[in-house]
Amino acid sequence: MILLQGSVASGQFLLWGETPRATSRRGADTSLPHGADGDALRTALASALPSAPSIVEQRSAWLPTVAGQPLASSPLIADAPESPDAPTLAPWEVAVLPLPLDRAIDLLCACRGKETLAPGVIVGMSLAYWAEVLALAGALAAREQFLPGIEKREEGWRARWQPVLAGPDQQQLTRLSAAMPGACRAIHDRSAAPHQPAATVVADFVAGVVDTLVRSAAPANGATLPEVGKRGKGVRFDSLHDQWLHALRETDGTLRGSGADFIGLSRQVVNWQRPVLTAVAAPFRLCFRLEEPQPEGKNGDSQPWTVRYLLQAQDDPSLLIPAEKAWKPTGPTGTLLKRHGFAPREYLLAALGQAAALCPPVEASLKTPTPSGFESDTTEAFQFLTEFSQSLEQAGFGVLLPAWWTRTGSKHRLSVAAQVKSPKSQSGGLGIRLNEIVHFDWLVALGDQLLSLEELRELARLKQPLVRVRGQWVQVSAQEIQAALDFWKAKEDAQATVREVLHMALGRADTPGGLAFTGVRASGWVGTLLEQLEGKESFEELPPPEGFHGTLRPYQLRGYSWLAFLSRWGLGACLADDMGLGKTVQTLALVERHWQEKERRPTLLVCPTSVLGNWKKEAERFTPELPVLIHHGVGRRRGAGFIEEAESQALVACSYALLHRDLEHLAKVRWAGVILDEAQNIKNHQTQQARAARSLQADMRVALTGTPVENHVGDLWSICEFLNPGFLGSHSEFRRRFQIPIQAQRDPEAADRLKRLTGPFILRRLKTDKSVITDLPAKLEMKVYCNLTKEQVSLYAAVVAELERDLKRADGIQRKGVVLAVLSKLKQVCNHPAQFLGDASAIADRSGKLARLTEMLDELAQAGDRALVFTQFTEMGAILQKHLQETFGQEVPFLHGGVTRKRRDELVARFQAPGGPRFFLLSLKAGGTGLNLTAANHVFHFDRWWNPAVENQATDRAFRIGQKRNVQVHKFLCVGTLEEKIDEMIERKKDMAARVVGTGEAWLTELSNEQLKDLVALRREALGE
Amino acid sequence: MWYNRYDSYFPKSRPRAAKGGIKAQSKRGQFGESWWAKRWIAVLESFDIGGRLSRGRSYARNGQVLNIHIDKSEVTAEVQGSRPTPYDVTIQVKALSAAEWSRLIKALSGQAIYTAKLLAGEMPQDIEEVFKEAKLSLFPEKSGDLKTSCSCPDYSNPCKHIAAVYYLIGEEFDRDPFLLFRLRGLSRDELLARLAAPEKKAARGKKAVVAVEAPPPSEPLPVDPAAFWTGGPLPTDAAVPVSSPRVSAALAKRLGNFPFWRGNDPFLDTLEKTYAAAAQAGLNAFLGERKGDSVKG
Repeated sequence: MILLQGSVASGQFLLWGETPRATSRRGADTSLPHGADGDALRTALASALPSAPSIVEQRSAWLPTVAGQPLASSPLIADAPESPDAPTLAPWEVAVLPLPLDRAIDLLCACRGKETLAPGVIVGMSLAYWAEVLALAGALAAREQFLPGIEKREEGWRARWQPVLAGPDQQQLTRLSAAMPGACRAIHDRSAAPHQPAATVVADFVAGVVDTLVRSAAPANGATLPEVGKRGKGVRFDSLHDQWLHALRETDGTLRGSGADFIGLSRQVVNWQRPVLTAVAAPFRLCFRLEEPQPEGKNGDSQPWTVRYLLQAQDDPSLLIPAEKAWKPTGPTGTLLKRHGFAPREYLLAALGQAAALCPPVEASLKTPTPSGFESDTTEAFQFLTEFSQSLEQAGFGVLLPAWWTRTGSKHRLSVAAQVKSPKSQSGGLGIRLNEIVHFDWLVALGDQLLSLEELRELARLKQPLVRVRGQWVQVSAQEIQAALDFWKAKEDAQATVREVLHMALGRADTPGGLAFTGVRASGWVGTLLEQLEGKESFEELPPPEGFHGTLRPYQLRGYSWLAFLSRWGLGACLADDMGLGKTVQTLALVERHWQEKERRPTLLVCPTSVLGNWKKEAERFTPELPVLIHHGVGRRRGAGFIEEAESQALVACSYALLHRDLEHLAKVRWAGVILDEAQNIKNHQTQQARAARSLQADMRVALTGTPVENHVGDLWSICEFLNPGFLGSHSEFRRRFQIPIQAQRDPEAADRLKRLTGPFILRRLKTDKSVITDLPAKLEMKVYCNLTKEQVSLYAAVVAELERDLKRADGIQRKGVVLAVLSKLKQVCNHPAQFLGDASAIADRSGKLARLTEMLDELAQAGDRALVFTQFTEMGAILQKHLQETFGQEVPFLHGGVTRKRRDELVARFQAPGGPRFFLLSLKAGGTGLNLTAANHVFHFDRWWNPAVENQATDRAFRIGQKRNVQVHKFLCVGTLEEKIDEMIERKKDMAARVVGTGEAWLTELSNEQLKDLVALRREALGE
Repeated sequence: MWYNRYDSYFPKSRPRAAKGGIKAQSKRGQFGESWWAKRWIAVLESFDIGGRLSRGRSYARNGQVLNIHIDKSEVTAEVQGSRPTPYDVTIQVKALSAAEWSRLIKALSGQAIYTAKLLAGEMPQDIEEVFKEAKLSLFPEKSGDLKTSCSCPDYSNPCKHIAAVYYLIGEEFDRDPFLLFRLRGLSRDELLARLAAPEKKAARGKKAVVAVEAPPPSEPLPVDPAAFWTGGPLPTDAAVPVSSPRVSAALAKRLGNFPFWRGNDPFLDTLEKTYAAAAQAGLNAFLGERKGDSVKG
């Protein structure tokens, strides 16, 4: 494991790292005891950057040090030494990998929003910090906030792109510099502690990154420039300017020549940049405020509109000083204005001079010595609203417009709506297809009022861009009136499919003729459908399907009905309920209904390998009459045999890997539906499984996921394209219309549009929702059925063979010992081969349980939940701890029998504290009583004690007084193994169990040899690959 | 071969190729885009010097003018002609007297538009009217307003070398309208100071406050382990939203051409391409997407 840190020293980005050490080195050695060495750094870096630099230097890191020992950044590396002393700073030698800025940018991009770069490669806070700073630098480059410049360094002169930070950017930089971890500037000379202020370090870094971004993006140098570097230094430029322009666009930027020349050039550059830099550096900006005429005016319309000039403080946009007070500033206003050496008069004049070129009325106002604004009539005011305000805003001026104008939407504009006439023949029964053609009329409205053709013509005659309707200003442009008139003419025979009408209603339609589009009004079944989709009207709540065993909770019944409603319309649905709310049962109910009501065709279920077994078990339990086929393993059928087999099933389950690999066979089956479990597996639309999923033909499409898909805009397209092809447009269209506006421009309108469009097809309920919480018991127990890997299967078989051999020889006390030992071994195999072999071998991808646990922990961590994980085995706990820490990049405390009482209290306190570790590992034996771990709302039993009383006691640690949430208990067991068998036995005689079973597993030794063999026998369904 | 009257004593000679000289931005036709630059050039073109004008233009375009130094009311320059040693050119513009400036300042400060336009890089349209009312002229008009000399053997004054320098100054006017005032004896800062307080006489000695470089501030590292390793809370969504600029290279365009550009490639056009490419790279960095990220599976 390595925890990566990033520091910046003298403008250079330096990567270093910490790694846990088994033994701490002591003595006079000044090298960092837990410092990662060069090889570890290179390996870690290679996981993010394919061709990473590899030259490593030894540098001094100044770190908080107590009692001669440096403090580690995280308990993952080392625990803080116990010492009453306050920490001091001391230099420690550490391997450092300097990264050129362009590579540092790549690395930081890879680190953005991640806790690990790869298993065991953890992104430290300092690195995460620089990734955040990169966002600001990227934003500056994206908005083209930079100028070409020249800079003198110790090594000489360089051509350099310089960022230009206006008010809000400057504020962001200040906030970033205040948040900088000390580690970000900890690398320094051994002789003196770092002293460069955080503000300087971060500003230099931003400047460096902007320079690098621009430079690396610069198109290849123009053909008129001399060939560079091919034959050494022989490049000659005709002029200093040629050299400068060339150096700005090459990787290095070094300028060669006489210093005196460059001093001259730099003076020219400063002279050239001055107007922008003074405007940007100003603590105020010129702001224009459009004020409505007073309605009390005696003769109505003759009252003028006013545009007032104001100075707006950059650091406090609410501070507005009227220009008339700024021309000759006195008193407190004067003091305020003149801070930072600001010259309000010169600034105002320069700004107004610039604005005059963009807005002619400003020019006219400058005929007086101290202008403070201008007046205009309604037509000019409209021009200001529509034209001048935009160009002024783009030039960096502030513009304040009346609220009725800036409010988005079409409330105060001319708008059109579509009035759909539902065909009478259809009464909403089965068989309605979205491709059916419907006819509709266009309606034209002004504000809320529908307009007749006469009224529209009257408006056209008025030729007023702004009309006051019921005391509210409404915009009507001649162009829009014309567009509306055109609609009137064309409205006779508008028609579209129901699917297109749906698009229009949900906001996908492009506004026709530039008119605001307010949606679809429909009556009849189309109207009902639209209202149901938009959630305005409830859909029919169905009873549980015939043949469904078990009961559906009220919210599950609603979810099932919702799935059925959408699938009836041929619309795809994404059920994104929180973990544990029962997505599986709702889906099984849907499949059962389909099987009962429609022609009996199979539904394909695609899921991660780790949950194949679970689906089978759940189907056996809730829909026992449904034929289910698990399509997996080397013996699986293909070709005609497969098609024949599949078409007699209600449900065919396969893994994502096989979806792609067996697509050829899968595509030939006439599927009633396709269901994707853990649908985030196809979030990247370019992956093979995503393509494969989209290519399958089916009437019903369902995606299941427990992660909040709607929060990851970028991932949404792929899932929606699977569910409802074409609804969000092409991927590039989606990126342009939604992803970039939402992620880069923080455009709330785009976010709203996307939500309107996708909302009807995504149902996400949280455990904490009022409508759900009343349906849920305080403690929800679930069994999680896992599969074995191939390796586990062969180990399991070997142990079983050993048992059969030993049983023949052993009897009495000896037999008891043999049985208990074998049972324990089998449990170890089910847990993890590494636990059974005890060989500290690799961990990943060898255990079905571990894969499932990791997936579930990831999902609940994303939902902000916390979990306790119990195992009986200390060795398994250690394996889990290593794996989980490396996967999640976070401390996972482990409480086992060997932990001292003091340390135990410490771990518990840390877990219970807000922001504490997300997961807590406990061995079942450790700390039997008094533990209060109510910070967790999930409890996992990784292996089973075969004793409900003991398990319940453990569970109750989270389920104690003080627990305000529902607690979910997940009991892991491997299908087709003794774990499943024993579980069945206990379930069968639950009441008896407490008596017979006692407190241990000894009762198992009482079984006969035949019973034992049956118990441990490995069944085919155990293997999940 | 036919020579015109003025050129007849001097056979048309080709100038030596000059590298790295100042290159006019105008590649054909008129020099100067603004009315005031054209007005300045009109003064030169009113002299009847025949083919020297067009040769002066091609000198200016081909970079024969090696350097230009502008001082108050005097311009000196070196121009590469046909001889190995460049010629020295001097252009002197008559400075206005203190009394004349006072009259002018009074008139100009009556309306904000004059200063505002100048500060925005533009010569106010009706500024000549103001000069006229003050019985002055902004552009050199009388023979005494403009004195030129050149070390070349051509008896004609202005010669093509003077013309070349003159054209280039005309182009610089496009960018910096204050230049005309400087040639008339008042620098930008002096002019602004006088306009701000018209009643005051030229205040001497009150120079713009130059920020004295303070010794670099120092900030020790935090010793507290939390501040050292974790830092403060990061500003979350306070990051400034990114919208692609509607006009590319807006900042550079706002500043206009580089003064007396000597490069072979046009300055702003070349920058514009770089700006557009950089905006895309910046957006990728902002979103945390690396080059080629979108094509990876």
